Amino acid sequence: MINIKLNVNGKDYDLEIEEDLRLIDLLRDRLGFTGTKEGCGEGECGACTVILEGKTVNSCLLLAIQAHGKEITTIEGIGKEDDLHPIQESFLENGAVQCGYCIPGMVLSAKALLDKNKNPTRKDIREAISGNLCRCTGYEKIVDSIEKASKILQQRGSESHEQL
Amino acid sequence: MNNYKNIGKNLLRVDGKQKVMGKTKYPQDIYMDDMLYGATLRSTEPHAYFKIDISEAEKLDGVVKILTHRDITGENRHGVLFKDHEVLCKEKVRRIGDPIAFVIAESPKKAKEAKKLIKIQYEKISAVFDPKEAMKENAPKIHDDSNIVYHYKCRKGNVEKGFKKCDVIVEREYKTSMVDHAFLQPESGLSYMEEDGTLVICAATQYPHFDQIEIADALGLPKERIKIINPAVGGAFGGREDITMQIHIGLGALLTGRPVKVCYDREESFYAHSKRHPLYMKYKTGADRTGKLIALEAEIIGDTGAYASWAVNVLRKSGVHATGPYEIDNVKIDSYAVYTNNPFCGAMRGFGATQIPVACEQQMDIIAEKLGISPVEIRLRNCFRKNSVTATGQVLVESVPLDKCIRIVSKRLFAESEMVWG
Repeated sequence: MINIKLNVNGKDYDLEIEEDLRLIDLLRDRLGFTGTKEGCGEGECGACTVILEGKTVNSCLLLAIQAHGKEITTIEGIGKEDDLHPIQESFLENGAVQCGYCIPGMVLSAKALLDKNKNPTRKDIREAISGNLCRCTGYEKIVDSIEKASKILQQRGSESHEQL
Repeated sequence: MNNYKNIGKNLLRVDGKQKVMGKTKYPQDIYMDDMLYGATLRSTEPHAYFKIDISEAEKLDGVVKILTHRDITGENRHGVLFKDHEVLCKEKVRRIGDPIAFVIAESPKKAKEAKKLIKIQYEKISAVFDPKEAMKENAPKIHDDSNIVYHYKCRKGNVEKGFKKCDVIVEREYKTSMVDHAFLQPESGLSYMEEDGTLVICAATQYPHFDQIEIADALGLPKERIKIINPAVGGAFGGREDITMQIHIGLGALLTGRPVKVCYDREESFYAHSKRHPLYMKYKTGADRTGKLIALEAEIIGDTGAYASWAVNVLRKSGVHATGPYEIDNVKIDSYAVYTNNPFCGAMRGFGATQIPVACEQQMDIIAEKLGISPVEIRLRNCFRKNSVTATGQVLVESVPLDKCIRIVSKRLFAESEMVWG
């Protein structure tokens, strides 16, 4: 057993864990963040995507101890029931959600993209979600949703700028 | 704008918000106190008799119970059309991946560790992997006395006379491959007993009411004692129509009195559920010099692997659709579903109709090329219209706007100068 400290969705955790515990198992089984999904367990499908220090990672490929001292964002850290993030709002309104299993990973990949690139091209968007597989939608509406979310975020950015 | 409440409106999915927030519960996401974990031991041989020894595995600390065919409290069988699957194989395996034992332990790790301690002694027997070979009298038999599960015949007009009238005849063979649904959420389930003796099975399934009957029969319980809860389903596409883990976890919860959960990984998911039937299609198609189709003879063989699943319905549909959307006066179609020792095949989007265009549309292109007419022209000449009669004798009395569709698509695909037809 080994002790680790990490921050998930803004909250600090101090935990004793088994050395071979994967990050995904820590998040799901120990901390209850079941929005992080396992689709393949070998880093192909991206359903287990989380944001670690601003970058997307496959939580099935990381050991929990690799997250020691780091900040993690899971889907539970994005938006609230009465105040969805524009990416979530856009996925919902544009019919990008079917079975939903890939969606947490998709939303997090989109978030990591838009945090760095405010005005991505469709090609940028496709590249950003190239590590996330979806078997239902055919991706078109997911790309549309991320594009629309970027417009909403830009508009909000310029509005808040004007207020200053 | 219309006056309808829903038609023509952009509606939000009722389950969409929970899904974008990651709050939706798939079976993997359900946890219970005092829960046990299962792991399935599967066959590594495609066709063999076997003997199993669980004595060492049972002794491992943390193992609660190891289920084999001996533990089954009802009928050791299930299957959507024919009861040809065993819940846990008794003495023979028919494909790689057949379930032999189900280990129940205090942790997933322990369950997997115990699985490695189970000894299986195989006595290999001849196997068959080619459905054409499997149809022969002397082929190894997967189940009973014949590997041919189903034969569908469709006859219209007289093909012999028809082919005599043809100016061009094209004979070709085609083969499609086995395909996995690869739904993103691997199979998982949780089973527990309620205080009144009801056995609850939570599993993502396409067929909850039928699962209830199959679980009840396999456990020897009245249907009323089985409750199926179908939480969120992470994709299915036909691949969740057959039983996978439902009976294993149900039996586990019944015999241990504790909740039992199992989560397949991706590799086990590939072993556990059905595939799309690969089809072998032998086509002979004839037309006159204007491109009008006159006769079609087709033999279609579907490899259903070790179990029938929906093979009858799938291969019937392949036969019914064998002409494609074209009117042909003389038709002779034979389609077969055949057992082999391959992974089993069942429902997958299109149910046997999806594979057919690989053959029938290629035939159209080859005939058009031989006659020097365009692929669009030959399709417009033969496609179903209102009042067309299909190979099965159905008269299409409703709207059939296929010719309109072909014209619109070809206009957008090709520049005007390339157009040969309207």
